[in-house]
Amino acid sequence: MKPLRIALTKGRLEKSTIALFEAIGYDCSQVINKGRRLILPIGNGEIEVVLAKAADVITYVEHGVCDLGVVGKDTILEQGRIFYELLDLGFGKCRFALAAPKGKDFYHGYAEKTIATKYPNVTKSFFEKKGMDVRIIKIEGSVELAPLVGLSDGIVDIVETGSTLKENGLEVIEDVVPVSARLIANIASLKLRKQEIEGLVDRIKEEISK
Amino acid sequence: MKKYMMITPEGTKDFLFEECNVFDGICDKIQNVFEDFGYRKVITPGVEFFDLFSSESWGIPQEDMFKAADSKGRILVMRPDSTLPIARMAATRLKNHTLPVRLYYRQAIYQNKPSLMGKSCEVLQMGVELLGAVGKCADLDIISAAVESLSSVFEDFRIEIGHAGLFKVLSDNLNVSEEIREDIRIAIESKNYPALNDILDGLEDSLSVKAMRILPKLFGGIEVLEQALEMEELSPAKEELNYIMDLYRGLCELGYGDKITIDLGLVQRNDYYSGIVFSGYVDGSGAAILSGGRYDTLLDNFSVPMGAAGFALNIDEMAQVKFKSGFFEPSMPSQVLVFAEKGYEVEAVKYARSLRKTGVKAELSAFEKEEEAVKYAKAGNIGKVIKVSEDITEIK
Repeated sequence: MKPLRIALTKGRLEKSTIALFEAIGYDCSQVINKGRRLILPIGNGEIEVVLAKAADVITYVEHGVCDLGVVGKDTILEQGRIFYELLDLGFGKCRFALAAPKGKDFYHGYAEKTIATKYPNVTKSFFEKKGMDVRIIKIEGSVELAPLVGLSDGIVDIVETGSTLKENGLEVIEDVVPVSARLIANIASLKLRKQEIEGLVDRIKEEISK
Repeated sequence: MKKYMMITPEGTKDFLFEECNVFDGICDKIQNVFEDFGYRKVITPGVEFFDLFSSESWGIPQEDMFKAADSKGRILVMRPDSTLPIARMAATRLKNHTLPVRLYYRQAIYQNKPSLMGKSCEVLQMGVELLGAVGKCADLDIISAAVESLSSVFEDFRIEIGHAGLFKVLSDNLNVSEEIREDIRIAIESKNYPALNDILDGLEDSLSVKAMRILPKLFGGIEVLEQALEMEELSPAKEELNYIMDLYRGLCELGYGDKITIDLGLVQRNDYYSGIVFSGYVDGSGAAILSGGRYDTLLDNFSVPMGAAGFALNIDEMAQVKFKSGFFEPSMPSQVLVFAEKGYEVEAVKYARSLRKTGVKAELSAFEKEEEAVKYAKAGNIGKVIKVSEDITEIK
């Protein structure tokens, strides 16, 4: 039997997911002492973990080379794509928010607003729903810089505590959408390997509802 | 040299030798199945008017279509789907034809896919449309054709069956706007339980809400249907559930039981499906390789109301799975290379012609020197080189 292959987002989500797998009784020592390997067995080899960057987790799952994936809702919202989203894992919690320089009325006036963001698709759909035309500029690094140097009127970004915003004289204008880690599945895999996947999902569900 | 002279557009590719053989092999097998079932081949134009596909309910976003304009400025698109052109054709050219009409096609569709994701913009499809036939017999017939097509190519695969009417009936009593209903449908289609629960938690609890919650979870074997028939919240859809049960039993009697599964959460975007819907999956492919269903109201849009059903197979995806598995016929080189000595060109062509008449794959050498011909034959795995001069001699 082929092992069930699950792609994990490297870093924090990986650690939380491994903790979850350990809690439901899988031996994860190979992932914890992984060295430079990227494909690692857990348990008795019935599951195989693949480590990847967030956006790549979605790509691997969509193409069916991984059956399952753990990835943040932020990446899912930004990438779109076709897969099943089975479970909110409850960790990796944060939110998307619109922020602007403190004290300024962001929505004031009729002039077109410019928004800097790492997440152009999330930003586009947020303002489309409002029926608001905005100019979106994609920024790769610290987005908070853009309004400070006068490139944009505001930013759409992931906010956890809000301390980075505060230190840079920005404040949250509006929450866009909450974010947390999700368990996703390839469409064909869920159909062809239903029992294995549902068995795992049930065990995870039971653990996270504790 | 021009910038884009040496590459093909994104999402397209050239197919060489073995790849073509795999394609043709799959297509020929499926074509035989279609022909055996009484379907007849049609070809529709590669370009059609945009109007044919522009309705939102067809589920083809306009940004996905390749567009051009004709000499009068009318918008044309490269065919993004084959069902709508065939419906158009049936409504015009076949208007007075005796029903039902069984048609099949083997042609590519073109859709602009997002870049850098490994998706093809040009996809070869084969499919059937059964126009003017409704009821259990027609549905059994079309699903049988789907099963037989896939089993002519793959040993192991699954076809899952759902019913478009389920969502329609069960969401009817939901007191929500069209937008929210669509959000619910999307969440069910993508088995997005968190999103589905978010929406449904905001609604007053009712049997309809319960039904929406359970629908995407109901997939698997016959036990799913048995469960569903017991559920109070699904009772408005009893008729549809019983129908799927009836169909499933029929398919089991036909010996297809191990190939058929059920997914009551199969609710496609294409609004045109009205009855049974089905998708096919095979190990090695991450997406459905077959999709289809019954679309009894589609032809209303062409002013010739009649029940119809059909399905399409993604030949590209099937060929890729075959390729990855390594089980395919290699492309065969010529068996004989015929080399002509100067002055004996016509004799050489004649000799090659006589070989071909006996069923031998014979290729003419284009070289002036014997050594070059032998070298070429070696490189191309051609077993024999024959020299035509005063007499005919085998030189390799």
